[in-house]
Amino acid sequence: MRFGTKAVMASIATAAALALSACGGGSSSGGSSSSGGAVNGAGKTLDVLVNVNTAYPEQQKQWMADITTKFKQQTGADLKFETFTSANDELTRIQTSVVSGQGPDVYSLGTTFTPTAYATKAFVTLSDDDWKKIGGKDRFNQNALGISGPDKDHLAGIPFVSRPFVMAYNKDLLKAAGIDAPATTWDGLAEQAKKLTDPSKGQYGMAIAYKDNFDPWKYIWAMSVQAGNNLVDGKTAKLNDPAVKKAYQTYFGWLTNDKVVNPASVGWSNSQALAEFAAGKAGYFLMTSSGSIPTLDKSPLAGKWDYALMPTAAPGDSSPKSGATPAASILSGDNLVVANYSKNKDLAFAYVNLVTSKDEQLNYQKIFGDLPANADALASLQSAPHMAALTDAAKKSYATPFTGAWGDIQLALLNVTVQSIPDLSNGNVPDAALSQRIQDAQNKSQQSLDRAK
Amino acid sequence: MTTASNPASESRRAARTARRASGPAFAVGPDVTPDGTTAETVPAIAAGVDTPAGRGRGPSERNRPLWMLIPGGLLMVIVIIVPLLLGIYMSLLDLDQYTLRQWIEAPFIAFANYVEAVTSTNLFHGVWLSVSYSFISTIIAMPIGIAAAVATQNAFKGRAVVRSVFLIPYVLPSFVVATVWRTMFQPGGIVEHGFKFFGADPGLFLNGPNTYWTLIFVQIWASWPFIYLLALAGLQSVDHEVHEASALDGALWWTKLRYVVFPYLKGPVSLAFIIGMLNHINNFTLPFVLFGIPAPHDVELLPVLTYVTSFQSFRFGLSAAMAVVSLILIAIPLFVYLRAVKLDDAETPGGRK
Repeated sequence: MRFGTKAVMASIATAAALALSACGGGSSSGGSSSSGGAVNGAGKTLDVLVNVNTAYPEQQKQWMADITTKFKQQTGADLKFETFTSANDELTRIQTSVVSGQGPDVYSLGTTFTPTAYATKAFVTLSDDDWKKIGGKDRFNQNALGISGPDKDHLAGIPFVSRPFVMAYNKDLLKAAGIDAPATTWDGLAEQAKKLTDPSKGQYGMAIAYKDNFDPWKYIWAMSVQAGNNLVDGKTAKLNDPAVKKAYQTYFGWLTNDKVVNPASVGWSNSQALAEFAAGKAGYFLMTSSGSIPTLDKSPLAGKWDYALMPTAAPGDSSPKSGATPAASILSGDNLVVANYSKNKDLAFAYVNLVTSKDEQLNYQKIFGDLPANADALASLQSAPHMAALTDAAKKSYATPFTGAWGDIQLALLNVTVQSIPDLSNGNVPDAALSQRIQDAQNKSQQSLDRAK
Repeated sequence: MTTASNPASESRRAARTARRASGPAFAVGPDVTPDGTTAETVPAIAAGVDTPAGRGRGPSERNRPLWMLIPGGLLMVIVIIVPLLLGIYMSLLDLDQYTLRQWIEAPFIAFANYVEAVTSTNLFHGVWLSVSYSFISTIIAMPIGIAAAVATQNAFKGRAVVRSVFLIPYVLPSFVVATVWRTMFQPGGIVEHGFKFFGADPGLFLNGPNTYWTLIFVQIWASWPFIYLLALAGLQSVDHEVHEASALDGALWWTKLRYVVFPYLKGPVSLAFIIGMLNHINNFTLPFVLFGIPAPHDVELLPVLTYVTSFQSFRFGLSAAMAVVSLILIAIPLFVYLRAVKLDDAETPGGRK
């Protein structure tokens, strides 16, 4: 049976991981004792899993060393950091830990991955007492709590950092086109983009990454919720709603009807669109976050750009619809979760308390650029360069539907774009084909929701 | 063609037959094999050293120390059989993100996953794409690899350099190959410019129907050196005398190639074919890096499909079922092929006694 396919190998690997970890059994023992306020963790080690920061590897090592020292001072316990490089890596890690009941005590999770992780029931849903240990719910930017659990009383994810999405604009180009302020509606944005477009100079109104592996569904989600359709209603998928189709038409229309996007963008990922904007060839660059600051400040565009909120009025509307969610961005960033099997839960909360304190959050922002989830820290940043729009967006970020099926829905939304790219490149996405693709996405999403528990 | 393709094992078989004919206990008479070497030495020495009970029989027939296989067998059970059985068991469970925590207690749903895999996924589409793309790229890569091997067979100045250059695509990691080609195939990229220079508008390479051919092209580029390597190894085994003999008989280059050299290549090349096929069917990195996830419909290959089912949708049970179905689908023709080209028993002629 050595003629296994990749597929078999994948399942074998999973099975083997499960089997091996199942044999592992618990080795560490002894509960941590918490007496009153301070946690005494002398002689214990807390295991923390964080994602590796490829942009700032040295700084991350330094940060880990600093935190370890501070944690030792506060609790007497040691910290052990482990890193993962991709979401896939992390998932494997969670799988093996979940099955074996041992592994990291604290995990750092991407926000959109939190519902999936929550569905495994492997993480602590915080009680009021638990919240007190980390400074109370009020300590955090309230919007950031939006994807911590299915409802207000069942929260597992503790917001750690925010990475809200905004759009960058080229001040010079906007000025030259006689535009005073960035648009606040999608229709207005398209109008402005037309003024900014001059194909003869290779200059376009917007830089859009149609082939990115994440970007497209964020537009569709934002435009849909702004129109009052949250995509998921309880156990029902609502992708076949006209708002969704309108969103796709608007998103594709920038290229096919408005012609305000470089035709080559059907092959671009987010970083390629950023490069185009940084080269001064686009008025707007949508769907970016604080991570683009270093690139832009090193580009010829330095000092000539700023961030603005993305439009919050759905396509066709002139102002945000009442009753709909005026989402400026998906709720994006990292959450911390404490493992159910952890024998050091008090220490884990002490760690969370430390890294979500105002000073540590500001320090983290200074080093890595990610926005604080701590409300005070966020407020104090408002006046820093480029921060106004970002902090504003952090407060106007809304959660994607909290369901274990979201991963599938996201993929289905993205798939509509992937399969439409050939049409997009030909300059026309036929209405019937688009409807059919959306219907496929609807079916897949509904199937996945039916399985959700 | 076995005679030509495997002279060494052929003579061994002859020697063994001769030995058996001369009596089971002592094989002393000089057995002269067809190619002129004497085979008496081995049994003679063995006869001198062995205890009377087991002497002369050699390690072939009865009393084989099968127990010596235990460590290897045990390892095989742990490394291959157990995970395979686990995989099959998983395919019978409703195992997903909701049941993963206590996966042993995940609901047993018998063949529901199989029914779903066959009826409501793109499994057959994926298998068909994987197999057809593997077949086409292997078939096209074969003549290229063989031609390259024949071309660099005779010594010439700079041959070492050429041979090293040939190997570059093979030693590059798949990830790098895919990244480089993705950059070249992009809209507005160098390949498109190349086509436009000749007045052709090929459309997109990384989305739409062209993707299938893009994948085949890159796969051929990356994998022909493997065929070349095995063909080269086959060429090394051609006896010098054969070349001389055919030259004396006045064979021209094509006749020589066709009737003298190619028969030697049959073994290595059919091996290269099967290994190449399997490698391509299993290739995940190339399509994943070239086209991303979700894949365009025309390159929704088997590994990509299973990956998405497992790690994007978290349907571990379903993906295990898909894996088992595709394993069966691919193993059957493979088995037939192996029988047909006798690859699996070429080394042990008469081994089954």
